Amino acid sequence: MTDEELMRAVCNGEQFAYQTIVKQHLKSISHYAFRILGNQKDTEDITQETFLKLWINAEKWQPEKAKLSTWLHRIAHNLCIDYIRKHGSIQTLENIEEGTDSIESPRDWQDSYEVSETRTQQDRLLKNAINNLPENQRSALVLCHYSGFSQKEAASIMDISVKALESVITRAKRSLRKQLGDTGNNNGDETTTSSGQM
Amino acid sequence: MKLGNFSQVIEIYGADSAMWPEDLREDLEAFLAKNETARSLLSEYSQLEQSLDKIAVPDFPGLETRVLNQALSPRQQSLFVSLISWLLPTENFGANLWRPALAACLPLVFGIVLSNYYSFGISSEVDEFDYWEDELAMIALTDISESED
Repeated sequence: MTDEELMRAVCNGEQFAYQTIVKQHLKSISHYAFRILGNQKDTEDITQETFLKLWINAEKWQPEKAKLSTWLHRIAHNLCIDYIRKHGSIQTLENIEEGTDSIESPRDWQDSYEVSETRTQQDRLLKNAINNLPENQRSALVLCHYSGFSQKEAASIMDISVKALESVITRAKRSLRKQLGDTGNNNGDETTTSSGQM
Repeated sequence: MKLGNFSQVIEIYGADSAMWPEDLREDLEAFLAKNETARSLLSEYSQLEQSLDKIAVPDFPGLETRVLNQALSPRQQSLFVSLISWLLPTENFGANLWRPALAACLPLVFGIVLSNYYSFGISSEVDEFDYWEDELAMIALTDISESED
């Protein structure tokens, strides 16, 4: 079934259509929410509310104006922004999962530990840098880099012009580059990195 | 092409040249080939994007079940849609034929009531009953030309 057919069925109260839409879009919505909010509990709450709003407001979707995924992400975006504004800046406490470096032998343990520790520190720095971004910059970054939306779609989700989106994402990347560069310089004496710091 | 323009393009579109606008790609690649600062900048942003890609999203076990099983209130149709659905039922249309028939008769009934209520400029000062008696009397006394023929 096409998105239009599914949404028409949802408007008629058919739950199988709702379930189909959930299965198709749950991953992308939950991933988007997690990258904005940074913790599992809030992500699950926002994701659940997004699909509830889909059910309640199904007749408001206009297929000629936006794809269903774009519309859903707009709902999720608005919910995330409202949540952040209500609860203040979200500081993620989630730990990044370690890479899959396998320790082949006890002799490699020290080297593997140092590489793993360095990578974890870099990831932590980057994640902190992302969390320090204003929510609109973070959202633009996630939509364009992770979610794979075009600039037009991302601008539609954020309800801004394409030019404004370009400005926001430019500021986001410059800010990340600057933050990582400053942090890298501060930690330069303590951390040796295999790749250059920003 | 200046470094500022180059920087803006890779910030907007990313470090992958395949994502750059087609009309700018040639100029950007030419600038890149000649400018070491641009190459360094591109390398930095490329590393940034690779680092961004490494940030994983955890699994959410049970989330799908939770979303699928959440309570959904019955969808409320608008009054207009509900009325149309009642007038034109999709099930047992034969048994419910009286509904569209009733709807079709409504304008006729409305017109009769309206015309009976309003005289449309034709007023009678006499009592209605007397008016009808006089009317009948006139009809009775009227010479109907057809009968003479």
